[in-house]
Amino acid sequence: MTDQAVDIQLENVTKRYPGGRQAAVEDFSMSIAAGEIVVFVGPSGCGKTTTMKMINRLIEPSSGRITIGGTDALSLDADELRRGIGYAIQQAGLFPHLTVGQNIGLVPGLQGWAKAKTASRVEEMLELVGLDAGEFRDRFPRQLSGGQQQRVGVARALAADPPVLLMDEPFGAVDPITRGNLQDELLSLQSELHKTIVFVTHDFDEAVKLGDRIAVLGPKSSILQFDTPEAILAAPANDTVAGFVGAGASLKQLTLLRVRDIELDETETATIDERPADVRARLTAKNRKYALVLDNRRRPKRWVHLRDLNDGALSTVGRPVNDQVTRQSTVQDALEAILTEGGSVPVVGTRGEYVGAVGIDTVMETVRKLREEHDHG
Amino acid sequence: MALWTYVTARWQSLLMDSYLHASAVVQATLLAAVIGVGLGVAVYRSPVGSAVATALTSAILTIPSFALLGLLLPVLGLGVPPTMVALVLYALLPIVRNTVVGLNGIDPAVVDAARGIGMGRLRVLTGVELRLAWPAILTGMRVSTQLLMGIAAIAAYVKGPGLGNLIFSGLSRVGSANAVDLALVGTVGVIVIALLLDGGYVLVGRLTTPRGIRD
Amino acid sequence: MADRSDRIRLFAQPVVVLAVVAGLLVWAGTRQLDDIEQRNLNFSTLLALTWQHLLLAVAVTAIVVLVGVPLGIVLTRRWARFAAPFVLALANIGQAAPAIGVLVLFFLATASTGFWVAALPIALYSLLPVLRNTIVGIRQVDPTLVEAGRGIGMSPSTVLRRIELPLAVPLILAGLRTSLVLAVGTATLAFFVAGGGLGVLIDTGDKLARYSVLVVGAVLAMALALLVDWLGGLAEEFLGPRGLR
Repeated sequence: MTDQAVDIQLENVTKRYPGGRQAAVEDFSMSIAAGEIVVFVGPSGCGKTTTMKMINRLIEPSSGRITIGGTDALSLDADELRRGIGYAIQQAGLFPHLTVGQNIGLVPGLQGWAKAKTASRVEEMLELVGLDAGEFRDRFPRQLSGGQQQRVGVARALAADPPVLLMDEPFGAVDPITRGNLQDELLSLQSELHKTIVFVTHDFDEAVKLGDRIAVLGPKSSILQFDTPEAILAAPANDTVAGFVGAGASLKQLTLLRVRDIELDETETATIDERPADVRARLTAKNRKYALVLDNRRRPKRWVHLRDLNDGALSTVGRPVNDQVTRQSTVQDALEAILTEGGSVPVVGTRGEYVGAVGIDTVMETVRKLREEHDHG
Repeated sequence: MALWTYVTARWQSLLMDSYLHASAVVQATLLAAVIGVGLGVAVYRSPVGSAVATALTSAILTIPSFALLGLLLPVLGLGVPPTMVALVLYALLPIVRNTVVGLNGIDPAVVDAARGIGMGRLRVLTGVELRLAWPAILTGMRVSTQLLMGIAAIAAYVKGPGLGNLIFSGLSRVGSANAVDLALVGTVGVIVIALLLDGGYVLVGRLTTPRGIRD
Repeated sequence: MADRSDRIRLFAQPVVVLAVVAGLLVWAGTRQLDDIEQRNLNFSTLLALTWQHLLLAVAVTAIVVLVGVPLGIVLTRRWARFAAPFVLALANIGQAAPAIGVLVLFFLATASTGFWVAALPIALYSLLPVLRNTIVGIRQVDPTLVEAGRGIGMSPSTVLRRIELPLAVPLILAGLRTSLVLAVGTATLAFFVAGGGLGVLIDTGDKLARYSVLVVGAVLAMALALLVDWLGGLAEEFLGPRGLR
């Protein structure tokens, strides 16, 4: 195995257990591109973990072909194959009698790396997953929190720099906040390292967040739909997939779009030192009811309605702007802000200056267009 | 075979010895159960008390049985007294430890529920806690009995009752035709009775364990 | 994982042993000893008998470890799994047999006496705790850890050597401690087959009605057993893998 990312090909892979009436995995074929994250998602018992474990032959396939980077996995010595594949599991599987450093250094040790090289690699890995090497290297797993243990588990999986990473619900055993952090860190690691990752989870939201492509699996690991998250959310292939995606698919779609991807509204604006009467005149002329008051640096400050514009300075009438979004915000954030504001929300640029607004109509229109695209595509 | 003729010829005295052996062990276990459970009930609430009781009784277990019997000789003489005292002492640890662990292993919510519906302290103990801890206590008694089987054989040295006498006879008659037979019958007899008593415990367990907690 | 009672014993036991032995020696030393007593209770005799007793215990322990641990490991391997219940049942029955019976039978069968005639049957008798704890210790290793080991590329023998065995060590040490104490206790019976040991004093004292001799023998045997148990406790506490404590 080289250090470059490699592809994985599974052809007609089947697993039958002796005495089982039906196969656990039936005729599974998939092509996983180098450097992409593919998430296997599905209900318990569908065989997703079994399928993943056949890639590193913890479970031997009954029939079929698996190639990794062009090499037939079944022709290699199983132990050697596994040393070239990173493996991270739920609850980390850290060996309690070894220190964190010894755990991470296991695979390099098995591959015969020199001690000094292993030691520096251990330090590197700890830093990579956000743990201070000096503090954690000589600790024992039971002295670590769940999140820290998971990080060490990932560090161990990456230690020998394998091109392929298999992850079996690695973030399942921690609390939601830690899980979110770990998912973000995995994504940022991937942007640096570009491994080919097969990730198993039963949590569809996690799949949407992490996957370049998602495989929704049914009984016997049948592939119900294998596509990008956007495509699956917009157009679930059948009722089973839709059921698995669950309610709120539309909302989930909005997490995948940014404000910069949609069309912004134009609101009437006014500067803070303008006279209310002038603003009023402008509004009436353009047949509009609302204006957004900006300060001298074009930052949104207040919303004013026609009826507020009598006497008094613009800085005191109307109501203050409570929330705003940037062009990087997700459309879901924008929707959240709209609900809080009770109306349109200003969109600001890098220096907080007004660039447009987003309203509920635009959001609904966006969702409708997404559906249309994927129905036709 | 010579062994078979030996057994059939002396089956009455063999039966007698077996009975004496078993009865000594069973009586000692029962006595130890009374003392042991009482001790366990007294200390299970206190971690220090439990620790001390467990430490003491397990220290007793490390004392070689032959040594303990020897120590009791000048005090209690020969025959039944030193045998029974030694047997009871050895039977204590498994029972005490299992009583403590069993009582402490009961879900506190159950005890609270019992108090909550108005059961007095004593009734909670006898009606709920001891009955739930009974499987553990019975297991402790079972382990004690197994332990005592071998020790009772040694007790023949101080003229205690039982099959040990056959073994010692075999030892002293070395060279004669009967020696091996005696020792063999004594040893095998103990094994047989041990297995029978063990089976008896399983039966008692089945019959006396409340159905709700039987596994 | 020492619980409170173990902690108490860790501190109290050696103290008690030392106090008792000291008290005993003082008592024996300040008495007027007659001929027989002097012959049996002099320092060199006591030392020799204690040494014999210890040697027996050490020999038995060595046999038990060299036979029990590998046998236990073999019985946990998949290919030998069918044999495990049989061997365990056999060992259980062996434990139900009275130690004295096993000793006497061995002696009668081999028609000889001495050190090994005592050591071998005692070893057989003391085998079960180590055998059983080795098997249980390896079986109770979390299977996900074994799978994690295979998953990162360890061969089955590497997994056994670096994961299963180290994690089973605490239980094996506990079994070893029980076996050791059993061995010391049963070694008091060695004198029946002329194997020596402190049982000699007990028997002599009884036969010749010199209770001082008997008491010294019994108390020394007791002290030795408690001491060995204490050492076993130390080993359990300090020889286990650090990460598991």
